[in-house]
Amino acid sequence: MNTVKSFLKKAKTFLIFAGPTTFIFLSVVILPFIFGIYLSLTNWDGIASDYRFIGFSNYQTVFQDQFFWNSFLLTVKYVLYTVVFVNLVAFILAYLLTSGVKGQKFLRAVFFVPNLIGGIILGLIWHFVFSRALVFIGKKLSLGIFSYSWLANPQKAFWALVIVSVWQYSGYMMLIYIAGLVNIPKELVEAAIIDGANGGQRVRKIILPLMVPSFVVCIFLTLQRGFMVYDVNLALTDGGPFRSTELISMHVYKKAFLAQEYGIGQSQAFILFIIVAAITLTQVYFSKKWEVEM
Amino acid sequence: MDHVILKNVTKTFVTKAFGKVTAVNNVNLNIKEGECFSFLGPSGCGKTTTLRLIAGFEDLSSGEIWLGDQPVSIKNKNFYLPPEKRGLGMVFQAFAVWPHLNVFENVAFPLRILKKEKSVVLDKVKQALKHTNLSGLEEKFPAELSGGQQQRIALARAIVTNPKVLLLDEPLSNLDPKLREIMRFEIKDLQKKFNFTIVYVTHDQTEAMALSDRMLVMDMGVIQQIDTPTNMYNNPRNKFVYGFLGLSNFLKVNLSDGKVYPVGSDGVSIDCTIPVDFSEDQAILASRPNEIDLLPEGGYPARIKSRLFLSDYIEYRVDVGQTEIRIQSYEDKGFKDGDLCGVKFNRLKWYSAKEEISEAERERRKVI
Repeated sequence: MNTVKSFLKKAKTFLIFAGPTTFIFLSVVILPFIFGIYLSLTNWDGIASDYRFIGFSNYQTVFQDQFFWNSFLLTVKYVLYTVVFVNLVAFILAYLLTSGVKGQKFLRAVFFVPNLIGGIILGLIWHFVFSRALVFIGKKLSLGIFSYSWLANPQKAFWALVIVSVWQYSGYMMLIYIAGLVNIPKELVEAAIIDGANGGQRVRKIILPLMVPSFVVCIFLTLQRGFMVYDVNLALTDGGPFRSTELISMHVYKKAFLAQEYGIGQSQAFILFIIVAAITLTQVYFSKKWEVEM
Repeated sequence: MDHVILKNVTKTFVTKAFGKVTAVNNVNLNIKEGECFSFLGPSGCGKTTTLRLIAGFEDLSSGEIWLGDQPVSIKNKNFYLPPEKRGLGMVFQAFAVWPHLNVFENVAFPLRILKKEKSVVLDKVKQALKHTNLSGLEEKFPAELSGGQQQRIALARAIVTNPKVLLLDEPLSNLDPKLREIMRFEIKDLQKKFNFTIVYVTHDQTEAMALSDRMLVMDMGVIQQIDTPTNMYNNPRNKFVYGFLGLSNFLKVNLSDGKVYPVGSDGVSIDCTIPVDFSEDQAILASRPNEIDLLPEGGYPARIKSRLFLSDYIEYRVDVGQTEIRIQSYEDKGFKDGDLCGVKFNRLKWYSAKEEISEAERERRKVI
């Protein structure tokens, strides 16, 4: 009798504090997710008022869809470059901005600001930069590489996407790395200095191993954000030129809403979810093994 | 041979809260080879800053530091050798052993930086571990070991390259009292065995006096006295050093007609001799609680204010003039609260009554 009573009491407390949020999360995220899985087993086109249950045939179509897998591989390529460059730039910035330079607190804020600009605005700003500003400068100074808009060339447009993403996310990851660096007790680095280690040796042997938790977090975040990129993709290139920079989220969106093949789009989305979840969970699992109790 | 030489070393900090602070004020010091030398003083006195100047973590504001015949910092020539090039060993208060390396790798680190071959590394590390009683624990990680063992790892790591000078920054402060005593002996043994020159920073006077060949007492950036522990204890140069080295009574007295009257004593004088060279008409007489006798007759008349039984000894408090004097006695003299008695000072040190540094300034220094 007591256990039932105390359970009800705990349930009441839970409902009061976590209830509203849980309800919203369930209704806005979980329920649509489950309903989406159901819809992926149908042939709905996104508009019609009736549709048939067709089992897994959507998934079969998706696995054989060349465009889907091309887009996916392009996204993987994008993610690899973004993860590497964002974390490299972020770590270097963090290291420099914790070394005691004048105005480092102000500079940290400066580098973080790009992250505050929403993806669409960011994409539009850089669209202007790549297709107008740089072209103007390139023509005036006869710099061949900038004379034509990067966004008109499939390879260069891809790199434009990478550059904008690195610009957007480095500041955010930099803050996480700064927190990690600042948390290393000063004596641990001083002991290495006394033992004769120069800057590079200190970074390799002491600082990096003790920063593994920060790396785990940042790589997870950049992986996940990289796979899910949409707004910058839309505003900067809109998948162009000629769908050559159509990353996977955009591909799914276009399939579901513009091509009016909602069921297939939904199954693509679900496959994407499984893959990204698998990758990120694996990454976190193996990285956690490298973490050290301080 | 002098192993550590400081010439006119001064270090000032500019802080936002307090403006310019002189943490180390014109320090001159020669530490001999193989000497165990302590820096003793209260929090904020500048002893750790001085150690960090020797290590190279801070640069001087003026002066010179030499390690043997090698200059490491000469301010007016703008010469500064960074800490990683000074060939020192250091043990920190918070151990500073790396949690991601096991015991062996922690101790081997300095040797690996010097790119020594595997066999040399293995041999030297094993030796260092043997001398710090850590043999057999090579594979363990610091998190699995106790505080004392972690401090030993730090010690082993500091001695593994046989540095000329070992710097120890309050290494035993984070250990419990029993362990502190054990480690004290181990450090002293190591020093005798290998003839290290040790610079030892502490705020514990017992530790400093037990370990050192010579020591200095520092207050507010200024060296008060440099001496052997015995000499310093028997002849403290000023009131501060006297008070810092042990329990003290400070009695303010007025001198007139060759007689010594405690302030507030209504014309009753103390039976003692004024030193020949003392010319002022006020003084502060310092005495240790265990160097004062309570007599049934004679001596300075006083009444027992309180009596405390502290198993090893008995502590009495009496008023001599307006000053409360503490007396510690190993024998029970039979006095009870309120009894009349006679106070006889067996040993007195005479100090000038002129105010040196105000309490306010001392408090201000402590916060930094």
